[in-house]
Amino acid sequence: MRKKRISVVALLFVLPVIAILLAISIFPLIYSFYLSLCQWDIGTGASRTFIGARNYLRLFTDARLWGALQNTGLELLLGVGSQFLLGLALALLLNRTFRGRNLVVTLFLLPMMISPVVVGCIWKIIYHYQYGPLNFLLERLKLNSVNWLGSNQVSIYSIILADIWEWTPFVMITLLAGLQAIPDELYEAARVDGATRLGTFFWVVLPLLRPVMIIAILIRVMDAFKIFDLVALLTMGGPGQSSETIAFYNYLTGFKYFSMGYASSMAYLQLAIIVIIANVFLKSWKGREIS
Amino acid sequence: MTSFKDKGEYFTYPPVFIPRSFDVEHYLQGMKLGGTRGIRDSFIIAASTTLLSVALGSLAAYSLARFHIGGENLAFWILSVRMMPPIASILPLFLFFRSLRWLDTYQALILTHLLMNLPFAVWMMKGFFEELPAELEEAALVDGCGRLGAFTRIAMPLVAPGLVATALFCFMFSWNEFLFALILGRSKVVPITVNIAGLIGGHEILWAEISAVSIVASVPIIIIAIVLQRYLVRGLTLGAVKG
Amino acid sequence: MKRFVLLLVVSLFLLGVASCAQAVKLVVIGDAGHNLKPFEWYAQTFKEKFDVELEVIGVPFGEVYEKEKMELIGQTGAYDIMIVFPKFLAEFAANGWLYPLDEFIAKLDPKMEDVTPGYRDFYCKYGGKVYALPYDGDILNLYYRKDLLENEEEKANFKAKYGYELKVPETWDEFLNAAEFFTRKKGEKLAGQVLERDFYGTAYYGQKDQIFAWWGNIFSSLGGVYFNEETMEPGINSEAGVKALEIMKTMHQYCPPDVLAYGYEELKDVFLQGDCFMVVQWPCVGKKGADANQSKIVGKIGVAHVPGVKKDGEIYYRPLMPCGRVLAIAAESKDPWKAYQVIQYLSLETSLDDVSTAETGLDPYRYSHFNHPEAYEMFENVEDAKIYLAGVQQNMEKGYPEMVLPGTVEYEETLGVEISRALSGEKTPKQALDDAAKAWTEILNRLGKENQKKMYQELVKGWRAAGLWE
Repeated sequence: MRKKRISVVALLFVLPVIAILLAISIFPLIYSFYLSLCQWDIGTGASRTFIGARNYLRLFTDARLWGALQNTGLELLLGVGSQFLLGLALALLLNRTFRGRNLVVTLFLLPMMISPVVVGCIWKIIYHYQYGPLNFLLERLKLNSVNWLGSNQVSIYSIILADIWEWTPFVMITLLAGLQAIPDELYEAARVDGATRLGTFFWVVLPLLRPVMIIAILIRVMDAFKIFDLVALLTMGGPGQSSETIAFYNYLTGFKYFSMGYASSMAYLQLAIIVIIANVFLKSWKGREIS
Repeated sequence: MTSFKDKGEYFTYPPVFIPRSFDVEHYLQGMKLGGTRGIRDSFIIAASTTLLSVALGSLAAYSLARFHIGGENLAFWILSVRMMPPIASILPLFLFFRSLRWLDTYQALILTHLLMNLPFAVWMMKGFFEELPAELEEAALVDGCGRLGAFTRIAMPLVAPGLVATALFCFMFSWNEFLFALILGRSKVVPITVNIAGLIGGHEILWAEISAVSIVASVPIIIIAIVLQRYLVRGLTLGAVKG
Repeated sequence: MKRFVLLLVVSLFLLGVASCAQAVKLVVIGDAGHNLKPFEWYAQTFKEKFDVELEVIGVPFGEVYEKEKMELIGQTGAYDIMIVFPKFLAEFAANGWLYPLDEFIAKLDPKMEDVTPGYRDFYCKYGGKVYALPYDGDILNLYYRKDLLENEEEKANFKAKYGYELKVPETWDEFLNAAEFFTRKKGEKLAGQVLERDFYGTAYYGQKDQIFAWWGNIFSSLGGVYFNEETMEPGINSEAGVKALEIMKTMHQYCPPDVLAYGYEELKDVFLQGDCFMVVQWPCVGKKGADANQSKIVGKIGVAHVPGVKKDGEIYYRPLMPCGRVLAIAAESKDPWKAYQVIQYLSLETSLDDVSTAETGLDPYRYSHFNHPEAYEMFENVEDAKIYLAGVQQNMEKGYPEMVLPGTVEYEETLGVEISRALSGEKTPKQALDDAAKAWTEILNRLGKENQKKMYQELVKGWRAAGLWE
């Protein structure tokens, strides 16, 4: 009897969200899936023609696509990885009260709060070979100037670096909020039980923080697939294709070349990849959950 | 952070860190070029999205965390809505809103941002709720509190830091969002991001105005962040826990 | 009877008044910023002369294409007057989104004979019909530091090294020599002064959306063509193409190391801040060069035609005309005639003012623009203005068109990516161009070879008629 009552209430709680999301997302999902099965090059004035799965086949032979995916993969490992580690470290550091903490936290929030367009502009200035502050500093330190944006070896790392600067605060704040939610009593209990600082960290803090860590990483992983502003403002994907991310290439295909069918299929490919990654991630982490 | 000050010289050597004169004129100019309207529009959209996302999202998150309704699948589906690359959804959404005659309106952008923010809010809050030991609410229920009461009076205050973080992020995502703002807005609704981008002309980049407007654009967010900070970094003990 | 007539007169009068009171509201869309200013300046005139009120919408420059296209696809009918970049013209016209202007032109003449052939024939027409009026004439020019050319010491050194007098480079070989000569490291001397920083011979636009134009200058002067008009086989990887890319590769050594990331801003600044000897760039750089706030080399700028190739005793040069702006009318406009009147006014009556002022980024495109140097107020004196205009005009008359086809953007960018790859050392020039040609064929087939062929042949016909194509 009680179980049924819970279910109704639970359902009610969840209903508004489901309703709204369903209403807005269902049409785009279906429409773009249909598009991905068509060839629609709006530029030529041709109309949609249904071509089945040919777009998907084309995906696999598109060298530029795989290059872009590679870059995105690099961002995932390096970028998200660094953001996580840095964010965790910073959150732990800031987890105690000290004077001026509010100010420090606000300052750290800045990179994230600035409009991405502006972040791009800022880094464009910083990375400038001749006039930028970075090379200026390097020169003063008697080191060689680095060709941040014009070298096909370095350009993708420049983008990743700017991305880390912009989004580590997100991870940091999320983890900080998570840390704040851990009751002090648990720390006490652990100490009473004779645990060391490190021990407490690994066996008490981390497990409790797990759900929050998962979401922080997942969100960043998903957003890594969307990196666009930085690329557009800093390098336009160049030189060659060295700093082109999948989102940028998708944008080009959809909005500059207006091959809507192909762009949609590319988007679905991305969706599939993200879904798989997310699934794997969730399963493997959840599996080790401590009750 | 350096470039905030670069109002005089931009591409010169050696890099100028302090401008020659702190010219207020750029601020006024930037505002005139649509800055004030941009901030107003962005604020309306961002605030609405945030309120809706946080409120509805927390409800859903609670249900997911506590009752495991719909199991793994529902939760995952909600998150997957956000995974769709915007490129693919933009044209359908454009056509969708066009048929509703909702182009260039606030509701179009609010709804679109909800697509991003609701899943985000749900999953963030879910994580925070899961961190919470269930005993507290059980105790409240035993004391005769209804489910809704347990939710509003016990669970929510305890996850206040999480709430604040989520609200802050939702606001920011919406505030800084560009692509949908560009395509779904036109002349009546012009969020600040589009405005700033407009200052990047083909033949000249109004660096000064960009810096100025960006600073002004960041002010609301900074204010909100500072205000909410108190809740973010407040300690947990609300005196309700015992044993 | 009398009363009836009175009533008729009164009602007609009222009708007239009513229609006058309702000014027609037209929506204008273009890239935000100073290029939209003319619409504001003459708002009053438009109201009085044509009974038109304008709502001007500015869109970020990088997104004009997407925004205009979205609204056109969705057939929202939101815009009346559109500022279009010529490379989209074909696409928009092919889809039937633009209003053909021929009938209006017959009624109200925009004096197209006054427009330089490049713009008149290439950028305003499609399929034989006129769809737009010119607004901004972009073309590439060679800018150089004439003060350095006049320096005695440099002249002597140059003659000693290369065996001929130091002068404005007219061929690509001379260009490379000059670039090599003037690339100096920090600490070396230039025109008698010790350099505080590296000085470069030249620079180019490295980002892949427009880089093809810089390669195109060389390619066109070597006789290259985009496609073979019979077979539609790409001509970009022909001998001319590979040679052009190899020349560019040599040039690359005399450029700043990060030149591959250069966009409009960087290219302009490297020259105006006095860090390089010469650049090929758009007309606006010349005008900005005269502004002490933006330029450190005021009065030291010379303008010439882009280098070419010696053929039959003459220098054969063909500058590319990338970008540019034209004014078009949406097919669904509520009042095309009124819209036409507005754009005709801007393209003819006020155009001299618009292109000669420092407040817009618009550049000359009519012979009448070139014949009035005194109107260009940003130059310190008329002489400077004359030098500038002479240089630009030289280039305008031999302009080499961008392809105005559906899919142009994709062709240009794909080519740009490969050029960029070759220059960064990832591939050899031949390899890069072969890959580009392969990509072009793929695009061609995907967009419908027959269709593209037809349109391309139309274009070539027009180019030949203008005397600008072999």
